[in-house]
Amino acid sequence: MAKKKMKETPEKTPKQEPEYIRIKFNQPRRYDWSTGKYLGHFYAEAKENKKILGNRCPKCKEIWLPPTPVCPKCKVDMGWDWKELPQTGKVFQYTYLVFPLWDPHYGERWANPYASAIIELDNGFYYRHFLEEQDKEKLKEGMRVRAVWKEDYNERGQGPGDILYFKEIGKE
Amino acid sequence: MTERVAIVAVGQTKYHPNRADASEEELAYEAVKQALEATGLALYDFDAAVSCSQDFWDGRTISNMNIQHVVGAHLSDEDKVCEDGINAVYAGMARILSGHHKLVIVVAHTKESQAEKSLIENAAFDPALLRQLGLDFVSAAAMQARRYMYKYGITPEQCAKVVVKNRGNAKKNPLAQAALDITVEDVLSSRVLSSPIRLLDAKPVSDGACAMILTTEERAKKLTKKPVWILGASNCYETHYLGDRDLAECEALVKAAQKAYSMAGIRNPVKEIDVAEISEEYSYQELMWMEGLGFCGKGEAGKLIDSGVTRMGGKLPVNPSGGVISGNPICVAGIARVAEAVLQLRGEAGDHQVKNARVALAHGITGACGQHHGVMILGSR
Amino acid sequence: MPNRLAIVGIGQTYHTSKRPDVNYAEMVREAVTAALADAQISIKDIEATFMANMETFEAIYLPDHEMAAEAGFYGKPGLKVGTGGTSGASAVAEGFYFVASGLFDVALVIGCEKQDCGDTTAAISAAATPMWGKGATTGAIGEFAKQALSYMKTSGAKEEHAAMVRLKADRNACRNPYAHLKLGLKNLEEVLKSPYLVWPLRLLDFCPQSCGACALVFASEKRAKKISKKPVWVADIETVHQEVFRAGVFGDPTGKETYAQNVACERLYKRNGITNPRKSIDMAEIYEPSNWEEMNLYEHFHFCGKNEGWKLIEKGITEIEGDFPVNPSGGVLATNPIGATPTIRVAEAALQVRGDAGEHQVTKDVKAAMATALGGPNWTVITLLKRSL
Repeated sequence: MAKKKMKETPEKTPKQEPEYIRIKFNQPRRYDWSTGKYLGHFYAEAKENKKILGNRCPKCKEIWLPPTPVCPKCKVDMGWDWKELPQTGKVFQYTYLVFPLWDPHYGERWANPYASAIIELDNGFYYRHFLEEQDKEKLKEGMRVRAVWKEDYNERGQGPGDILYFKEIGKE
Repeated sequence: MTERVAIVAVGQTKYHPNRADASEEELAYEAVKQALEATGLALYDFDAAVSCSQDFWDGRTISNMNIQHVVGAHLSDEDKVCEDGINAVYAGMARILSGHHKLVIVVAHTKESQAEKSLIENAAFDPALLRQLGLDFVSAAAMQARRYMYKYGITPEQCAKVVVKNRGNAKKNPLAQAALDITVEDVLSSRVLSSPIRLLDAKPVSDGACAMILTTEERAKKLTKKPVWILGASNCYETHYLGDRDLAECEALVKAAQKAYSMAGIRNPVKEIDVAEISEEYSYQELMWMEGLGFCGKGEAGKLIDSGVTRMGGKLPVNPSGGVISGNPICVAGIARVAEAVLQLRGEAGDHQVKNARVALAHGITGACGQHHGVMILGSR
Repeated sequence: MPNRLAIVGIGQTYHTSKRPDVNYAEMVREAVTAALADAQISIKDIEATFMANMETFEAIYLPDHEMAAEAGFYGKPGLKVGTGGTSGASAVAEGFYFVASGLFDVALVIGCEKQDCGDTTAAISAAATPMWGKGATTGAIGEFAKQALSYMKTSGAKEEHAAMVRLKADRNACRNPYAHLKLGLKNLEEVLKSPYLVWPLRLLDFCPQSCGACALVFASEKRAKKISKKPVWVADIETVHQEVFRAGVFGDPTGKETYAQNVACERLYKRNGITNPRKSIDMAEIYEPSNWEEMNLYEHFHFCGKNEGWKLIEKGITEIEGDFPVNPSGGVLATNPIGATPTIRVAEAALQVRGDAGEHQVTKDVKAAMATALGGPNWTVITLLKRSL
């Protein structure tokens, strides 16, 4: 909303509705978030070894990703028990977004259109991420996919963003 | 009140200028763990949680999502209070007095190091009129300090004495962030932030979390040998526009204090209160808030600090923990005051213990120039 | 014994998409003034104020401070809460606990949102954890789409049923002077002509973004009977949150996780001796962010059996004249000022209990009503209102 300029011809009859002066505030704010120990371990393993790690609750044995210090269900301390998750799975449910969204945290415009899915990894864990397939006709539930990582070590270190997308197996 | 509410355990992280090693969740969990270990309780024992954090500081809408797991909120009751943490304790107290909950955990957290203070504080001001003046809480406080000092003849030296006292007290508090051995001269020669507030007159950037467990009278006696009772509590709002009020007065604090005192049956604060933990983000505020709390008459806080009544060993020690000026983040500052008061009343304040403390006062502020004040009176009997 | 409390004053603004004619404080003041007038008391009688708002939506840090004088906070105790979509109901919960505790006898509860001030979509997206959100976030629309697809698959509901929900909401909204979207839709065909945004969701399947405020006056039993001839008793309230990642906005689409709605209503029903909600409760104002979700919620709240939600709408059971009216006000599909929406649900349910809902008053006599709130991730707050305790 830019500041409205005065009309060039003030002698015109005044409008019925009032004209509102609009002032736009654009206030970018910088934040320095810390991943902490738990999420930090995921980030480190993703960057160093291209692995997907979740942590496991000592009581219910469920795997949580993103990792958490306390099991949300049992509410007990999670300790430090990590499990590597498989990198292949099948698409459980997908959505295909056409209109653009942008990341409100980082201000980047996300490429559109894009497909986002809940992927059932081979051990039964549900992981949410992008899909590589851009053609919505080709997307289907149950299709087998594999994680595709950013190959350049220096580009990794974005945590889950180190996985570019999940790509249909057989299409490599 | 037909029933009393007790605080049975507290936990505080050591306040630190930059906890880059911990996420908000892990930081809050450090404080929660201390409270749990002290009572042997587990997160699944609680009926409800009250959290306290600010979305703007966490950089995330619905900032209580950050700490859901560590307060045991899954399939449980949790609410986020968006004022200073002392109000979260008040909300926890209301839950128990209402009879609907019996065991409540209260947690506040903020990592000031991760955000841009001035920009966030600027966003608190009315966008149409005040925001464009580029105000933040330091410059607003500076105006209040200027007005207060002008109206009542409070001197910069008297304000500096607050800093010397509190930063000195912090030396005896292992959790304090920034204890300093300084003199009035040191304060008065530190660089000006926003005249008349100097660097040493202001609280530093801080990261931390504080948690406490509240429960009914019956349960309290089973969980701890030294429950601390909330004898009185209240809070109050002031107007927003700085020109609408005389900044030298803190009517909201007077009202909140009067209500809390009347609930606790206190008629003469200086006589009946053994120790006070007040939220002084800037040095002049300790003086102003003492007047609002009725520790002395209007404009007489300068004389009060000169008299030595409020130092350790005096008749009414104020901020033996070092106070907010030694480093406490927003949202946590007020609840940390309650935690310190609890330690005092349990005799667990170690080197900064005030002897024979039986009744304590805790105070918290939110907003520009103390627009919102919360007061709590606590007792060991 | 906890004190009993009732709603003695109800006020709301005329909700609409933009309110350039008032600033935020003035808009809230409209609702507060209406509530005080309804209760026939003055601001002096209010002892404390509890407000709910998601401050990032208007990009105002501490909005309750900004409107302290205009909205009635000045010189009084109070606080502000914020829990996302359920904020409005969290404020109701605070009012409930503080009055039930005996700390206050008369309290004001305010829910408000002025969405034309800021960028709501961005603010909602910012609810994702910054260090994990990117891949998982599909924006609200993606969530809606996933939920609709799941529901269609498991229950057999058709697009026509979703269209019927929109028709009902619109018909009801046209009878509610305060509602925002009053489209005057005449038949299913009109709804089914609405363009798809993301299959199977159409433009008309979504709730709008509104500006509005809603205020309620709560009073303890001894004051309630003096202030109002028709106090609406707040019998109970239940808040249930959920762990944030798997929950999604409508619960976990994999079906593996427990729904907070189930847990909340089951606890509430048990505490209040309700075994058959359709018998013990007369109507409900539920928080339905999309028409598909409304049908799903009928099932979660046990208004019908599993996979039968669409049947209730098909048979007209949830219409204003029906056996179990749901959202006679038009619901969230017609009006959605996010911070106020849950408070509006409570306000509308209370109006129904009082018999004061005017043209959108339901046909049957309402002795007990239920109001729900929903916030991402699938958090829920349920309030139970009764004409007599």
